[in-house]
Amino acid sequence: MDLYRLADADAVLPRVRAGDPAAQEELYRAYEAPVYNLARRICRTAEDAEDVLQETFLEVFRSIGRFRGDGSLWGWVRTIASSKALMRLRRNKYRETDELQDDVLPLRREDTALRMDLEAALERLSPTSRAVVWLHDVEGYTHEEIAAMMQKTVSFSKSQLARAHTRLRRWLGEEVPA
Amino acid sequence: MTHLTMDQLLTLREPGKEPGVQGWRDHAEVCELCRAELERLDQRMARLRALPTLRPGRNRFAELQVRTRRERRWRQIRLFSLAGLGLAAAVALAVVLAPRFGAPAAPARLAEQQELDSIIASSRRLEGAIQDYNPEQRVIDGRTAVVAQSIEDKLARVDHQLQLVDLMDQRVRQQEALRLWRERVGLLNALVDVHVTRARSVGF
Repeated sequence: MDLYRLADADAVLPRVRAGDPAAQEELYRAYEAPVYNLARRICRTAEDAEDVLQETFLEVFRSIGRFRGDGSLWGWVRTIASSKALMRLRRNKYRETDELQDDVLPLRREDTALRMDLEAALERLSPTSRAVVWLHDVEGYTHEEIAAMMQKTVSFSKSQLARAHTRLRRWLGEEVPA
Repeated sequence: MTHLTMDQLLTLREPGKEPGVQGWRDHAEVCELCRAELERLDQRMARLRALPTLRPGRNRFAELQVRTRRERRWRQIRLFSLAGLGLAAAVALAVVLAPRFGAPAAPARLAEQQELDSIIASSRRLEGAIQDYNPEQRVIDGRTAVVAQSIEDKLARVDHQLQLVDLMDQRVRQQEALRLWRERVGLLNALVDVHVTRARSVGF
């Protein structure tokens, strides 16, 4: 079942296909928040996320004729949004400095004392790791689907997720002494 | 057995079964540390899913609508250009076949046909230049957007008139087509000025 629904989709979708601006706005308003949320969790800046929101709906309006209705509408929109957000990541080529520092430097003392909140810890992950965590744990994509969207291997997706959770556990102060 | 790695813990939460999973599951059942780790992993995932939904700070739907309209209009212009080739071919055929059916092809008509071919080719070149600039993906200022929109509206009007040319009497069809294609090329030139020249002046 769709988490997000477009009320009266059967009536709205043909109008969107015909280019009716009012119907386009209905579709946009129904999915604006979840698309932006997904983009914001993956992209580094709010500006990037806003651009992804625009690009997603441009693509949705352009390709709505190809949506046959055999899957969920939100699932279709979400896949477009995920691809656009990942394309934005690739285009911006964010430097993975956080990750590098973590690999090279031992954890600073204040980090062990400080229990970061989950938002801050998520933000601190490298963009790639954050994208994998969000797509897998929250959006429910499989490693196979993530690998296809990221143009990487399944084992890349799995290892990114494992490394991300190891870090989150440490930053959230959840490590248990063996 | 040593404690489960994060990779193994995550695998236990995947729907498929990998080799060795049952062994890891058995271990997690008897190992207090690994069971606790698995619970923390589940809780962390649940907390991630419970994070608040972030919302955009600005309402950019109006901007999206402008971009959608422009993209749609531009697509129509491009489609029309292809249709224009068909029209040109039809007019050319009429000129070629006319002598066979008793109506001599006047040199003036042949010259008009050549000019029409040349104008349609110019129209396609200009569209190519605008397409290369890719105006749908550019952010343009409000003033430029208004000017571009006005030109695109005029283009749509000319394209509509060109569609009606087919219905006209053969004698006036060619002249009318020529007049409208000239106007179309003039408008496309103006559009190139708006987009491409502006892009150069701001250093894109």
